[in-house]
Amino acid sequence: MTAVLVAEDVRRTYGETVALDGVSLSVAEGEVFALVGPNGAGKTTLVRALTGTTDAEGSVSVFGADPRDVDRERIGLLPQEFDPPERLTARELLEYYRGLYDGGRDVDAVLSDVGLADDADTWYENLSGGQRRRTCVGSALVNDPDLLFLDEPTTGIDPAGRRALWRLLEDFAAGGTTIVLTTHYMEEAHRLADRVGLLADGDLVAVDDPDALVAEYGGASRLVVDLASDPGQDEPAPLPEDFVLSQEFERRDGSLVVTGVDPVDISEVVDALDAAGVAYDALTWKEPDLEDVYLDLTGESVVGNRRVGGRTPRPVSGGDA
Amino acid sequence: MSAPRRIRASFRAGWRSFLRRRTAVFFTFFFPLIIVVIFGALVRTEPTGGLFAEPPGYYVPGYLAVVVLFTPLSRVGSEVARHREGNRFEKLATTPLSRGEWLLAQTLVNVVVIGLAGFLLLALVVALTGANLRLGVGSLALLVGYVVVGVALFCGFGAILGSLADSQDGVIAASNSIALPLLFLSETFVPPEMLPAWFRPAMGLSPLTYFSRGVRAATFDPVDAGAVAPAVSNLGIVVALAVAFLAVGALVLPRTD
Repeated sequence: MTAVLVAEDVRRTYGETVALDGVSLSVAEGEVFALVGPNGAGKTTLVRALTGTTDAEGSVSVFGADPRDVDRERIGLLPQEFDPPERLTARELLEYYRGLYDGGRDVDAVLSDVGLADDADTWYENLSGGQRRRTCVGSALVNDPDLLFLDEPTTGIDPAGRRALWRLLEDFAAGGTTIVLTTHYMEEAHRLADRVGLLADGDLVAVDDPDALVAEYGGASRLVVDLASDPGQDEPAPLPEDFVLSQEFERRDGSLVVTGVDPVDISEVVDALDAAGVAYDALTWKEPDLEDVYLDLTGESVVGNRRVGGRTPRPVSGGDA
Repeated sequence: MSAPRRIRASFRAGWRSFLRRRTAVFFTFFFPLIIVVIFGALVRTEPTGGLFAEPPGYYVPGYLAVVVLFTPLSRVGSEVARHREGNRFEKLATTPLSRGEWLLAQTLVNVVVIGLAGFLLLALVVALTGANLRLGVGSLALLVGYVVVGVALFCGFGAILGSLADSQDGVIAASNSIALPLLFLSETFVPPEMLPAWFRPAMGLSPLTYFSRGVRAATFDPVDAGAVAPAVSNLGIVVALAVAFLAVGALVLPRTD
């Protein structure tokens, strides 16, 4: 497929802080590409570099042109922490941004799409946080863009509203819109994205489709035992010294995480817990997911109160769209 | 037809935003009122000497300068700061709206607002001070021209301030620090003869000086063969300065982070 967005060796520094350290990627026409990573990893800076709203080194091409020279009718952007004029109604805001383009979508249809048909005539400053964010998402959709950049589109939106927006973005993607989004919600990235890029410290440390990332970096399935606390105690008691399991296990916060256990052998674990007198509230079977990939590759994994380093990721060159 | 459409959309949004900030609307009109009341009605002109020794009509450029200078300088400067803090320029940079179009739309909003405030102020000056003005068709046309172009000039100046200052507070502090000396040292309220001879050439550095001279030539100075020429020539200077300030203002408006 044709690459609509190509970035090569993009670097951006702020003083001595390196925000982007040679990022290369490409996004194919019609693809949904999600950027995930910890706060400060460089996601927003990368979106700005791709949209030409920051001065970065390296090269970026959007529809074959420099992002500042591209036909802006074809681009839609939702910046992070976007705060539009607050004393316009949701409808007036969308009319304003729609009025900046020659083509575009019907404002009422966009309001309906983002779930604001009933609050269209409420001033932006009087909308709830989630409604505000949905208005902002609408402002990126009014010109019916071919390439849509969304920097944390669902932050602050309740779960039902988030899912409604996911369906909307899926409709846009099905209609051929290329989408580049950043998110802190791994479920969102997994559901929406054809490929996920994981940024850490300004580096794109892994790029692949979500399932492939999970298979490579997500680790094994595991049984999570939520240990019970004694009355009046904040945390469960330590495990007895003679507690043994034939599988690998480790204590994480108030849980016991058992890996290498087959589902049919869960009863062995239960028997061992009972034999050692270890009380527990629940047992949960956990398949690896994108969050495990994130925690593993970014070094954000936490055991108890101890931060542990992540796996050394393999270097990533340009995307393979 | 794209540019007019974009400017119209931007103007409409700016106009609605302004009208709904009631405190800003109130003080935009109240500020010139208190200036006229203080200087025109309470202090009053004193032909025997002192600061206000000229006839009331002499000070009309000064009263108009209060709105033509202060309001666009602080309003556009603050609007730039608000846009930057809300990442609105980042959004606009990816739309077809150019920075020049954005500034033109903001200027048009200010022209309408300050045009109304200027009209009110002029009526108050005449009513409260008994200023004897020459307000024929030609003079009025020149007066309207001066207000429109003067507002555009200081909108450009405000855009520069807003782009250079790092916050809304900074814009307000900077605009007050610049506007106050300009207001009194631009042949508005203080005649040049009251200032030291060595300082008088410096008044030529103030854009407001040409506004003052022109408005005074159009509305107050005695009619003679040479009276129209300064009114027109100073308008030419103000137009040239307005174009320059708007161009620089549009150029320095934030486009990146």
